[in-house]
Amino acid sequence: MSMLVANGLTHRFGRERALDSVDLVLDTGEHMAVLGDNGAGKTTLLRILATALRPTSGRLEIAGLDAFRERRRLRHYLGYVAHAPGLYPALSAAENLDFFCDLQEVSRSRVDEVLGTVGLSNVADRRAGELSRGMQQRLAIARAILHDPRLLILDEPDASLGADAADLLSGVMRGKTVVLATHDHALANRLCPRTLVLRHGRSLGTATHLRVVR
Amino acid sequence: MNPLRVALAVARKDLRSEWRTRELVPALAQFIILALLIGNFGFQIDSRNAASIAPGILWLALVFAGLVAFGRTFTAEREQASLEAMLMTPASPVAIFAGKAIAASALLVVCEAVMLPALSLFFGTPLSGGVAAAVLLATVGMASLGCLFAAIVARVRARELLLPLLTLPLWIPFIIAGGQAVQSAMGQGGNYGGAISLLIDFDILFVVLTSLAARFVLDE
Repeated sequence: MSMLVANGLTHRFGRERALDSVDLVLDTGEHMAVLGDNGAGKTTLLRILATALRPTSGRLEIAGLDAFRERRRLRHYLGYVAHAPGLYPALSAAENLDFFCDLQEVSRSRVDEVLGTVGLSNVADRRAGELSRGMQQRLAIARAILHDPRLLILDEPDASLGADAADLLSGVMRGKTVVLATHDHALANRLCPRTLVLRHGRSLGTATHLRVVR
Repeated sequence: MNPLRVALAVARKDLRSEWRTRELVPALAQFIILALLIGNFGFQIDSRNAASIAPGILWLALVFAGLVAFGRTFTAEREQASLEAMLMTPASPVAIFAGKAIAASALLVVCEAVMLPALSLFFGTPLSGGVAAAVLLATVGMASLGCLFAAIVARVRARELLLPLLTLPLWIPFIIAGGQAVQSAMGQGGNYGGAISLLIDFDILFVVLTSLAARFVLDE
């Protein structure tokens, strides 16, 4: 069964076409990497797939629902790690997650569990603003999986994660449908059997265990 | 999803952040004291004219402190990219907006708790429950409007300029009704009950309107 079906996704910022008629089908449990140079449209595509940005044209269905009509309902099933961690620097790591538990209607008992998953149990009481960039990224990942979503949209989650990025992400992605944007081809190959390549907002096609030729 | 629970969670989060950083309230309280001090030195205050001048100074200080307080509500969220994370949850944007407005109002009320005794000290005007009630009622409607426009302008570069341009015209009803209520409470005559009723009507009107508009402002 398809978890995500996108047809002709196009997005313009003013005159500039950031995304040009991208089609995509992702089956339940499938992991797909999105590769491309800076400005290729990866973040725009991921923000649309995460329903954070409405496309100028095109259609997106997630779990059989129209992604933009049923946006709020879909957010129970969807976890998104954006380019910026988007944390509250004055709150501790645990307090950041407690807050999102309230917004997601998830029991706060999940907080310890997800902090353990991302390896932050020992800094649960430290303020997010005092954490290293890599730890902040882990906390953003913890927030995205707090409600145990079926679909994960990860925008360069490996940025500043360090050497164990692949192991951490592999654990987080297990059992979920995932779209992951990255610059790291080796990581993409290791975590995602399928890859979509974007250039100037256009899809150059998908491939399995891709060898990218520049 | 319970909107009240969401609104309270958002308000609690904002107040906790402010308590830890103390970014806004000390600066606002200082601003208010300075504004009252300038008003005190700028006018020849004596026992005959204090009660007629003080309400004007009070509203001027409150309006500018409010612009700063409400302006920060969404700017900080946008700067740290946390607004999108909040909006990516199933929580209603109206509840999120309400939480932000509650927190901003609470911060302004703290500043008002400094302002009213200071006004009494500098201008020798009576510190009464009537004055406090008028100021608090005006704060509710001003907060809902201020937060709505703060959310609108947070994504544009000239937000510091745009926020007063958009907000001040719509705050005028509160300043007129609030000004009348405060003058009346300070013994300058006028219909205190009528002014308070008007403030309550404006509060209901603008809270409902801004709640309806918030969904469209925050949703994307």
